[in-house]
Amino acid sequence: MSQSREVKRRIRSVENTRQITRTMEMVATSKLKKATDRVYAARPYGDALDEIVRSLHDAGRAERFPILRVPETTRRAAVLLLTANRGLAGAFNVNLIREARRKLDELEEQGVDTELHVVGKKGIGYFRFQGREMSLQKTDLSDKPAPEDAESLVDPLRVRFEAGELDAVYVVASEFRSALSTPPRTIQLLPIEPSESRVDPENYILEPSQDEILTRLLPLYIRNKVYRALVENAAAEQGARRTAMKNATDNAADMLEQLKRTYNRARQAQITQEIAEIVGGAAAFD
Amino acid sequence: MAATLTLRVVSPQEMVFEGEAVSVVLPAWDGKMGILPGHAPMISLLGGGRLAVDLPGGGSKHFFLNRGVVKVENNQVTILSEYAGADAPPQFDPGSAWLDPADPEEMSSAGNPLV
Repeated sequence: MSQSREVKRRIRSVENTRQITRTMEMVATSKLKKATDRVYAARPYGDALDEIVRSLHDAGRAERFPILRVPETTRRAAVLLLTANRGLAGAFNVNLIREARRKLDELEEQGVDTELHVVGKKGIGYFRFQGREMSLQKTDLSDKPAPEDAESLVDPLRVRFEAGELDAVYVVASEFRSALSTPPRTIQLLPIEPSESRVDPENYILEPSQDEILTRLLPLYIRNKVYRALVENAAAEQGARRTAMKNATDNAADMLEQLKRTYNRARQAQITQEIAEIVGGAAAFD
Repeated sequence: MAATLTLRVVSPQEMVFEGEAVSVVLPAWDGKMGILPGHAPMISLLGGGRLAVDLPGGGSKHFFLNRGVVKVENNQVTILSEYAGADAPPQFDPGSAWLDPADPEEMSSAGNPLV
């Protein structure tokens, strides 16, 4: 009797958990839809800007533009890590933190001074626990990143790169391939890699001038890269959370099945025993 | 020569407009600039201001832009703007979106008035 009551209590507890994870799965699914729309909506601008910047950018300009400078040796580099404010998203945050650590270790092995900028409570919590100094801790980004968020994150870094205080800037964020595939990756933000495919600027009327256009567009270009990383990261977070919660819900269902089987077996055993006792008792009178 | 332009107006967040246009008047870096079909290939900076699009069936559309760039090639007009929308942007910077306020010469050449 006591065993079946115990099992019944566990069944109720697992049912409650399943209800919660199922709800979280549905919330993540709806947020994922919106976040995915934002990823796709951000692509035309980014692609077109990429194309224009690439067509105007050539190696000869690198010396005249602080933003295009390619340092011969990297002495100091910044790593900007984007993580989530919330957990329960499977290995999402862990993967990002691991990728950031890998990049930091790699840079430090090459004798580069590193500084770490972290967005999101999960990343901050980890590195605080590790006792690592962070140059920036930002937790006020919403699920819907705006271009202004990217601006406030990257503009100080760009200014310091132009001033020669930083020689490289990397962003660690999740790539949003699909809702199920969101691997972490490191993007090199600065220095800007000289591109291969170039359109001849001679064929264009350039207003006011090639230099002036580049001066104005490059900050926007850098900003847009970070904005896209933010948007993709937000979508990847929801995708990872949906997958994690779906697995949790499925596991709870499996567990319930097991528990119900145990419960029924205990109940049946008890009934059988009672019948046996009654029959046994009746037989004693005969 | 094609009689229409294929116009795309894109902001970082979304594609604001995609379609055919007969002519486009946009706020370039130094003033208003009109683009008709057959325009030479061009890349130009944009200021802040109003974009007017004349549609093929008559009628027109208006958008506000703030900072960006336009690329014209083979009657394809691509407008990239930090802000693009039917309403004026929250921090509209009429004449000098592209100009450095610290530089008086640049400021005095601000020629793109807000319509």
